[in-house]
Amino acid sequence: MIKLNPLTIKKIRRFKSIKRGYYSLILLTIMILVSIFAELFINSRALIVKYEGNYYFPTYSNMISGKTFGLGENYDYETSYRDLATKFDTENSDNWLLMPIIPFNPYEVDLKNDSYAPFPPSLKDKHFLGTDTQGRDIIARVVYGFRIAIFFSLFLLFVTYIVGITIGCLMGYTGKLFDLFFQRIIEIWSNVPFLYIVIIVASIMTPNFILLVLIVSFFGWTNMTWIMRTITYKEKEREYVLAAKSLGASNLRIIFKHIIPNTIAIIVTFAPFSISSGIVTLTSLDYLGFGLPHPTPSWGELLNQSWENLDAWWISTTVVTAMIITLTTVTFVGEAVREALDPKLHTIYE
Amino acid sequence: MKLQTKYLLLTIILLTSFLISACDNADKNDDKSIKKPELEELSDDKVIKGTLPKGLKWLTNEIDPVFASEDAKKGGVFRASLRSFPQTFRSVGPDSNGGFRSYLDVNKMSLIEMHPNTENIIPGLATHWAYGKDKRTMFFKLNKKARWSDGVPVTAKDFLYTIKFHRSKHIVAPWYNNYYTKEIDKVVIYDDYTLSVSCTKPKPDLAYIVALGPTPSHFYKKLTKDFVKKYNWNIVPNTGPYQIHKFKKGKNVIFKRKKNWWAKDLKYNRNRFNVDTVVLTVIRDMNLEWEHFKKAKLDTFRMPYPKFWHSKSKTKVFNNGYTHKIWFFVDKRINPQGLYLNSDKEIFKDINVRQAFAHSMNVEKVISQLLRNDYFRLNHAYEGFGKYSNNTIRARKFDISKVKTYMEKSGWKRGKGGIWIKGKIRFSVPVTYSSDVLTERLVVLKEEAKKAGLELLLRKYDNSAAFKKILEKKHTVASMIWSTKFRPTFWSLYHSANAHKTQTNNVTNTDDPLLDKMIMTYRNSIDTNERMGLSVKIQQRLHDLCYYVPTMKVPYVRQGFWRWWRLPKEYGTKSSDDLFDPMGVGLAWFDKDIYDQTKSAMKSGKILKATTIVNEKYKTY
Repeated sequence: MIKLNPLTIKKIRRFKSIKRGYYSLILLTIMILVSIFAELFINSRALIVKYEGNYYFPTYSNMISGKTFGLGENYDYETSYRDLATKFDTENSDNWLLMPIIPFNPYEVDLKNDSYAPFPPSLKDKHFLGTDTQGRDIIARVVYGFRIAIFFSLFLLFVTYIVGITIGCLMGYTGKLFDLFFQRIIEIWSNVPFLYIVIIVASIMTPNFILLVLIVSFFGWTNMTWIMRTITYKEKEREYVLAAKSLGASNLRIIFKHIIPNTIAIIVTFAPFSISSGIVTLTSLDYLGFGLPHPTPSWGELLNQSWENLDAWWISTTVVTAMIITLTTVTFVGEAVREALDPKLHTIYE
Repeated sequence: MKLQTKYLLLTIILLTSFLISACDNADKNDDKSIKKPELEELSDDKVIKGTLPKGLKWLTNEIDPVFASEDAKKGGVFRASLRSFPQTFRSVGPDSNGGFRSYLDVNKMSLIEMHPNTENIIPGLATHWAYGKDKRTMFFKLNKKARWSDGVPVTAKDFLYTIKFHRSKHIVAPWYNNYYTKEIDKVVIYDDYTLSVSCTKPKPDLAYIVALGPTPSHFYKKLTKDFVKKYNWNIVPNTGPYQIHKFKKGKNVIFKRKKNWWAKDLKYNRNRFNVDTVVLTVIRDMNLEWEHFKKAKLDTFRMPYPKFWHSKSKTKVFNNGYTHKIWFFVDKRINPQGLYLNSDKEIFKDINVRQAFAHSMNVEKVISQLLRNDYFRLNHAYEGFGKYSNNTIRARKFDISKVKTYMEKSGWKRGKGGIWIKGKIRFSVPVTYSSDVLTERLVVLKEEAKKAGLELLLRKYDNSAAFKKILEKKHTVASMIWSTKFRPTFWSLYHSANAHKTQTNNVTNTDDPLLDKMIMTYRNSIDTNERMGLSVKIQQRLHDLCYYVPTMKVPYVRQGFWRWWRLPKEYGTKSSDDLFDPMGVGLAWFDKDIYDQTKSAMKSGKILKATTIVNEKYKTY
């Protein structure tokens, strides 16, 4: 068991006492966990298939062709497990399979012959919140879209914070010309209309996940620098830095071993807000059609569809609700963290 | 749809420009004999005057049926929308090729026009025409009544000036500079109202090439370096039925009908161009346009998309019968929409793979389950050209077992994910496209192709970025549409002279000796029957080579309209683009009585008869 610093324990206790934030964190964690293992809940592949005495677990395995289950000689492609289930039912044999709660993957187009997508919510069709304009399940799109959005934000956070914190600290610590120079650079940089630049780049090269993270962080790293610069200026005048210096610690050691750990509270405070802005960025890019390539599940694309099909209320309601819940919980967590780490509650000034 | 129009315009320009550069090569040998008069050479005192050759057989056409309605009445205001305000009112030079250009062009008459139904020549600015013996010249007698909108008579000099104008460097239009030098040889004036126009070499369908329009020399006078800037917002005199009356930059352009238009009593113009005022307002979004239409702020709304036709139109104004719907089939040249495979990419060098690709495309499913069977499967790239079309060709249909046969023939095997593999190559290809409308169709194609063992990666780019990528031949599969010309053109799209190099229209890099031979004979022939026969054979060969997978066609016009707009009994012509377009064919008219009746019904909430007209007269299959 890791032994926590009493101050940290105090902070955690304080965080827990802020109920709104605490429950939001739990909800958010559940949402992330569910989305990570979404394949078990929302998927066109069966969880377990028992066929001719053998057990198959298709969820995370390679594609199993329909030939394996006797669906036909030319059935070389992915088994349609929903069709297989129907077949098993009619055959009255020992074969059986277990489908996830929502038996659709987010890419699958479930179109019909007599009516046209978007289909309204239907228990019979197992599209509990309906489909989008191409007959894809809304819940599947929303959940997988959430997974992409949240990981996009986390990666973005990671990249921008590493760059932002490093440069911010260096600015604050070295001061002088380096500081002056980067201040101007950042002023100019943060005035670049970043969304437009991303749109221009995206329109000529259709970015993938990593590339999009890099493009967005290329313009997003500046936010953190100002804060880090200010804190570092303050921290480097403190006695412990002086002490470390007189012991002969190198500048890098002082920055990474002493200053940054002491500013971690502030960094953590900002993180949730950066996450929500990351989600919003990806969603707006997707909405405008310049985000991840089709048919990646995406909230922005759903929002766009809902604007074009206002009569299909289930699209807009679902995606807007999902966005509100996510952004609110993230914000509540952020607020609670900020309050729990508030230095005024923990520091005693002499 | 507008996006597509813009895209089309771009392709038209590119397509034609490549055709011209094509002529460039072919004509190299004759180059010295072609007279290329410079700007100065054509000044007024050096006009090329000649004596009319003897034995010309003057032709005219007053016997084709008229296509306007006798019931038509003049009057009314027609309100339509523009997606963006034009960047200039010039019709040549930088930025002149936007969507607004067509409104200027329809108000410019040519020497002769084409009857929209019979496709015969009918009089335009000329009353009579005659063919020269050299097969590259046509003679014309101008209508003496012809006037510019400022009242100045149209004379033969204005056609000579057309050449001078388009050859000028000052207009900053290299394409026209080139076309009017390499394609059009000269205009010879015999008297004020008699002239001839010559091509540089004998041409099939000569009449459509030499049918020049005049350019008002009295308006432009001497062209100078500042032409582009000087004439940006000038209203140039024209010869057609309407002229720009006033405009508010960024907001609207208003056209007014010329009350005493010189050509209003010509046989084929009677009862056409009935609307007094045409107001074009900038509305930047289709959904917004729809809202404007429902509020009667726009008179018609185009609804080719099933979504609008079937579901969005289930709304009060349609249900109450205040607005009507019309679905009018046309019989015209089909723009080849589909997937163009780049055979310079290793994977598509193998004809088996190309055929397997074609059989992996479930276009039928897209049409039946996504597009509500409103669209039709396109069978090949040259449909609707009459006897020039090979109507026996049928598009390859979605067929997993055929895919299997072709792939196994070339030694491919299904990989772990179900996708075909051969060595380290997976049957996974990126599709380059630019139109949002295509996304949902491609998504369905992608899901279906997966079953056939093909992975499609959708790569959407901005319009110009996509086009650049395709012209640089960096695409593997391009989902695109080309514009069509009067007759099928093959050289720029499928001749090996344009393969394996950038900035040519042979985006499939088709390179086939047999095809080359046929294409060259087709190009150089002026024998109609030979050309028809070759055209049919070339299309068969193209189908066999399978560089192009045709997808779908939309052979009709679908529009919603306020019921006070009336149409002739036939509704439109064989090749109508817009049934209500007041300035193009101009068949619709405003009915004041019905207008008053509808307005009072709307006020009192009275329900009128909901009407949907479906006309299949020109449906060809």
